[in-house]
Amino acid sequence: MKTIEKAKLDSLFAQLAQNYSLLVPVDYNGLTQFAPYSQVQEGVSQLYLDGNVTVSPKTAYLPQSEAMYKFRAQGKKLAIEEMAGLDKQQVLFGVRHCDTKAIQCLDKVFLDEKFEDPQYKNKREQNIVFSLACNNPKATCFCESMGLDRAHAEASVADVQVYDFGDSFGFEAISDKGKACLDKLTGLGETASKLPDQKPQTLKFDVAGLPEKLKDMFEDPIWDEYSFKCLNCGTCSYICPTCHCFDINNKIRGEVGVKLRTWDSCMFNEYTLMAGGHQPRAGKKERVRNRFLHKLQYFNEKHDMSLCVGCGRCVAKCPVNVDITKFIRQVIG
Amino acid sequence: MSDIQSEMRATAKQLLESGEATVVIGWEKGTMPYNSTPVMIRSAADVDKLIWDEYCQQNLSTYLIDFIYTEDKVAIFAKGCDTRAYNRLIQDKRISADKCIVIGVPCSGMKSAKAAAKLPEGAEVPMSKACKECRYPNPVVFDRKIGQDVTPWCTEKDFSDVEAIEAMDQDAKAAFWKEQYTKCIRCYACRNICPACNCTNCIFDQSASGWQSKDINASENQFYGVTRAFHVAGRCIECGQCEMVCPSDVPIMLMNKKFIKDIDTLFGAYEAGLETEGPVPLSHYEVSDPEEFM
Amino acid sequence: MKTASASDVKRINNLVPKIGVVKEILDETPDVKTFRISTPEGERPFTPMPGQLGMYSLPAVGEAMFSVTNYGDDYIDMSIKKYNDGVLTSVLHAMEEGQEVGIRGPYGNGFPIDQFKGKDIVFVAGGIGLAPVRSLILYCMRNREDFGKLTIIYGGRSKDDLCFKEDLFENWPKVPNTEVHVTIDRPQEGWDGHVGFVPDFVKEIAPNAQIAAVCGPPILIKLTLPILSQMGLPDEDIITTLELRMKCGIGKCGRCNIGSCYVCLDGPVFSQAQLNNMPKEY
Repeated sequence: MKTIEKAKLDSLFAQLAQNYSLLVPVDYNGLTQFAPYSQVQEGVSQLYLDGNVTVSPKTAYLPQSEAMYKFRAQGKKLAIEEMAGLDKQQVLFGVRHCDTKAIQCLDKVFLDEKFEDPQYKNKREQNIVFSLACNNPKATCFCESMGLDRAHAEASVADVQVYDFGDSFGFEAISDKGKACLDKLTGLGETASKLPDQKPQTLKFDVAGLPEKLKDMFEDPIWDEYSFKCLNCGTCSYICPTCHCFDINNKIRGEVGVKLRTWDSCMFNEYTLMAGGHQPRAGKKERVRNRFLHKLQYFNEKHDMSLCVGCGRCVAKCPVNVDITKFIRQVIG
Repeated sequence: MSDIQSEMRATAKQLLESGEATVVIGWEKGTMPYNSTPVMIRSAADVDKLIWDEYCQQNLSTYLIDFIYTEDKVAIFAKGCDTRAYNRLIQDKRISADKCIVIGVPCSGMKSAKAAAKLPEGAEVPMSKACKECRYPNPVVFDRKIGQDVTPWCTEKDFSDVEAIEAMDQDAKAAFWKEQYTKCIRCYACRNICPACNCTNCIFDQSASGWQSKDINASENQFYGVTRAFHVAGRCIECGQCEMVCPSDVPIMLMNKKFIKDIDTLFGAYEAGLETEGPVPLSHYEVSDPEEFM
Repeated sequence: MKTASASDVKRINNLVPKIGVVKEILDETPDVKTFRISTPEGERPFTPMPGQLGMYSLPAVGEAMFSVTNYGDDYIDMSIKKYNDGVLTSVLHAMEEGQEVGIRGPYGNGFPIDQFKGKDIVFVAGGIGLAPVRSLILYCMRNREDFGKLTIIYGGRSKDDLCFKEDLFENWPKVPNTEVHVTIDRPQEGWDGHVGFVPDFVKEIAPNAQIAAVCGPPILIKLTLPILSQMGLPDEDIITTLELRMKCGIGKCGRCNIGSCYVCLDGPVFSQAQLNNMPKEY
């Protein structure tokens, strides 16, 4: 395994930044997220490796707002111009295992055979993921319960596995892309040390049979209980690494405009509201139910995997503590 | 168990058993020790879920709006800020007093759950900023009351943070707010929890109207923040819920407090939500009002 | 024309519309117009199966999903009802011939044609709901020998609200072994046909139908489906279409889900048997 002392991390980043665009987890005025390394160099943000970031790295695959195409509407004439993708490879350093699993979920949606999404695919191809194993899970983390491997990142997504050895990081290539990237780096040490100890997760529960159980619970009174306090804000959807619903809308200046795709949330009224006024999911109950069932039943039925990866963001950040883990435990009984 | 907590449970039990209330809204313990979160109790058998501790910061009054079209008679536990929010909702004609039973609970200030989440277990957790600056810890309106009134620890409005921003030059101010609103993810949690943001159909939920683009950038986000601040001006009861729920730590109250300060200067000292009658600074007109701008 | 390689095909962004030109605009009713759309080169924008959908847009205004009601060698037809609160449909209705628009598709599953083959079919439609059913009716008529008796039952609020009048009163009644029954909700001067609601006529007019295609306002669907069941049609052969808010049309943006189905991808055509296994959230 290749290694680098944490004291020399800057030189590693400098090398990566020379060959690639480099995104690192940062604290920007209290908000943790992935941002260009230049922000750290300029002192705008601080490198943040103490835990997972609030806004997940899905932003590097499905940005919160992304131009899809430009158009010019001039009288009866219409012209459309597609956007160019990333032309440079981009390294994401320090993506946690839960978030690599989440990208695998997004692959199911955006790389499906019938309607592959080229904008997503472009980023998927250009991104090189350095995935960091977590030694110290937070009290809200529950990835193990959702079946994740804390020693190994999702191999279809991560390119380099990173381990934290206290005063150094260790790197192991997972993909060819990752190997090519590691091979370019100089000044790395070599070690055969065993993997770092990982503190156990405290939030643990059984999810066996969950989708099947939920199938018969569409009309269960549990939904009133869990939806009562929900504010129908978009916090959970926006910070969730697997929530991928989007809206398509415009930004127009005179005759020219840009078609954007922007994150959307099933918590919002406009999400399902139809012209003419019909609203199939009119209230909190219908919306909370749809979100939980999408995570825990519907996605399983379609793709044979859960759409919840146990990152714990919503547990930590829901303004009113609508807790999906409490819900799961109550359903499993 | 605190006396207040047992009295809360006993009151809820009595209200539900007697049928005086069909629903009681209080707080229950959440996932983490610092999560005390809203709970709806419909059965006397469930009253032991109710808790009262130093994290019951969330304002419960906004939930009353969810019951305006139901047959329920709703009892809520209310701290000083919750009762001011209640008055605001009555004043905005969003709820009707005869459907509600307000059980006042004097409050000694709540701890900051956000701070607690960042501190190691067992560390001393500071009081939340809104609570530190609270001048009305005792319920200002109630049908019943539990516990003894406390002595307010703050008597004057503290505008020192607003003044610090006012002292900046224009560029520094612009840079400060741009930086803050770059963080906003437009989840609308601040709006949805705000007792003053109670419109049935908010302009930010009508994207086709063209008022606001769904593009996320500092400018669009600030438009959202400023518009909301203008809209709650004169109606903000300083519960600080907006800041409490913000996942991005935008200092939303700073802008609300600037409006409060300006209203005090322009219209005379005013406290929103203390009463339901009487003139409200920005929605009251007198023929003698100055009209220099006309 | 350049032949696209496999990798070119892969890179097609399905969310980016092609340019279409509105060749002709036909007034169907005071609030329904049919738009005939070709490519700028005068070709058919895409080839839909009956019941499939197309995304139709004025990029500066908006984009919405409509069923393709008919197509010819060099065009597709989309019939669109104007809603007062619908920003896009209002602008579309104000548009003139020659306007360039965005068009993408075809989307959705379409009607299960094979299942209709050899059977006596009843088509039940109300209002603009005739638009998707018409694509199936026209298919059956173009391939007349593959299908049994065709019975069309269509209703509108008034005689002015009836769409596709030429088909209803001129073209279709002339097709062999075909019956067309039209009803309006309330009596009206100058109308001597049926008066009353569509569901009430179904049992009386087509008691021996072997398969049904139903589309119309939610209340028509809600009242007609149980009648078809009473007539003894198996749930698999009671076929209807659903409509929900859509944005992407290709099962990614999320909003048109009913349980684990996406209406844009797995629908819009569903059988009663399928609906029985789906949450009632539409």
